[in-house]
Amino acid sequence: MKNGKHLTLGIETSCDETAVSVVADGRFVLSNVINTQIGIHTQFGGVVPEIASRRHLEKINDVIEGALSEADVSIQDIDLVGVTYGPGLVGALLIGVAAAKSIAYACDIPLVGVNHMHGHIAANYLEHHELEPPFMALVVSGGHTNIVNVPDYNRCEKIGGTRDDAAGEAFDKVARVIGLGYPGGPKVDKAAREGDRDAVAFKRVWLEPGSYDFSFSGLKTQALNYLNTERQAGREIRVNDVAASFQEAVVEVLAEKAVSAALEFGQKRIVMAGGVASNTRLRELISEKAGAHGIEVLRPSPALCTDNGAMIASAAYYAYRSGERSGYDLDAVPALEF
Amino acid sequence: MINILTLETTGKYGSAAVIREDGRVFCASSETEMNHLKDIITISDEAIRMAGITKKDLTHVAASAGPGSFTGIRIGVTTARTLGQMLSIPCIGVSSLEAMAERVLDAAIAAGAVYIVPVINARRHQTYAGAWEAVFTTDHEHRSAIAVLDEKQYMIEDLLSDITARSAETGKVLFTGDGIDAYEEIITDAFASADISDRLILADTDIRYQRADAAARIALRHAMAGKTVGYDELMPEYMRLAEAEQRLRAGTLSEKIRKVGQI
Repeated sequence: MKNGKHLTLGIETSCDETAVSVVADGRFVLSNVINTQIGIHTQFGGVVPEIASRRHLEKINDVIEGALSEADVSIQDIDLVGVTYGPGLVGALLIGVAAAKSIAYACDIPLVGVNHMHGHIAANYLEHHELEPPFMALVVSGGHTNIVNVPDYNRCEKIGGTRDDAAGEAFDKVARVIGLGYPGGPKVDKAAREGDRDAVAFKRVWLEPGSYDFSFSGLKTQALNYLNTERQAGREIRVNDVAASFQEAVVEVLAEKAVSAALEFGQKRIVMAGGVASNTRLRELISEKAGAHGIEVLRPSPALCTDNGAMIASAAYYAYRSGERSGYDLDAVPALEF
Repeated sequence: MINILTLETTGKYGSAAVIREDGRVFCASSETEMNHLKDIITISDEAIRMAGITKKDLTHVAASAGPGSFTGIRIGVTTARTLGQMLSIPCIGVSSLEAMAERVLDAAIAAGAVYIVPVINARRHQTYAGAWEAVFTTDHEHRSAIAVLDEKQYMIEDLLSDITARSAETGKVLFTGDGIDAYEEIITDAFASADISDRLILADTDIRYQRADAAARIALRHAMAGKTVGYDELMPEYMRLAEAEQRLRAGTLSEKIRKVGQI
């Protein structure tokens, strides 16, 4: 506690960001320190788990120190430690979990393990201080594509997910093949702004009627086949057009299904979360489709869409308030379900 | 008054020990293999209680920093660093190989071995190893192990050609570590070929593997000698680059090893 505020230290190391934050009352970001490894992994064309794990270890303590000092608090002021314990890369997760347990033990602070995906949804509480459940959430990131009904703070009911590739994975793969490189999402987004989204007729995969699931592997294959055919025929690949058309095929399905889900469950709000929530065209399209039904669309600012400790602190705070506690035996769970 | 918490998570079973200034050691071990992350705080707390102190009485936190399981190394080092940071106490890094030699020192002296060779299996004939000379002086019955070979990665065959040559010249060798489990036949063959089978001793399994009480004894010596570091200077000793890093440096990075993270 400091100045009457409940303070949560949030720790996130599930992939390639070493991130720690101090959040007041589950809503107000006092500090949000992120050490990103993107520069390191770019030379390998993607995240290398062993290298990510080594880097997390080297950085975690400095990032903790930075988050405390930027928030102008000391560890004695912290009331709760929240940490991502899954899903993610096991070697990366365990750095955060080991550090969080050590803090909780050394300083006698309660500990709550957080599901990374719940954290992404909670990022919205930090951006929109009046937002309260219920709402429908569309969570789209490098490894996940989910539609989640959120009836209250501590319940996340997954009503749809990907059956194969995540949307972000498809973006990464196609970006690599058309020469845009890693990380694929932001690069495709940027190129697509200069392209014609009707240039290539990529399929929209709706699956069976009423399903909120996704499948992007067929689309990915179609894109790769298209590129092969064009190259073999000696035709010039118009990168911006391919990016725009591919992106449209992905985001149209995401937007349409999220809006249908909100309508079916009677939700007046759709909350976006995860790295792909920053995608310009997805934001535009979902606002358009939802607006037609009087549904409000909320999203965190791009800085809170990427992995960060603040979202983990917020999710931990609400879990803690409903009585959740983790023991010192908290383990990393790489394949943690939603 | 020195009280050092020492973590040993580089092998199969994790353990934690508290060593007091007078050399008394209190050690708690994990009962499940490769359960390091889950058990690390619980066994640390157990060792602290066994020593009859509280965590506030700790003066240093030490970790067996490797070589060994990369994951295990990271759990021990991260925990030691963060405990050091939060309790505002210095850290101590201990070599897992040196601690393994320490653990078998009495057995080596009892068996009349001149050398102790801890060997950690790093797969495909690779090992992490070193060699120590076991020294026993009747004056105060002092026992010590003096490093005689660099601690690094060796092909088991290269290590054995060096060790058998030393052994032929000087005397018995005690091997320890899970390298025995992986390469026992290769080790015994090498001594047989050199016609010195009678100079080979393999550590019993009850003292063969890493355990925190041995690392704690080395940590106490480091503390007495002032060999301590700040929490942010405690570094893991992997003894090997990540595979992708090796390939990047060798210019053989291929699409195959570019494993894209799933999150």
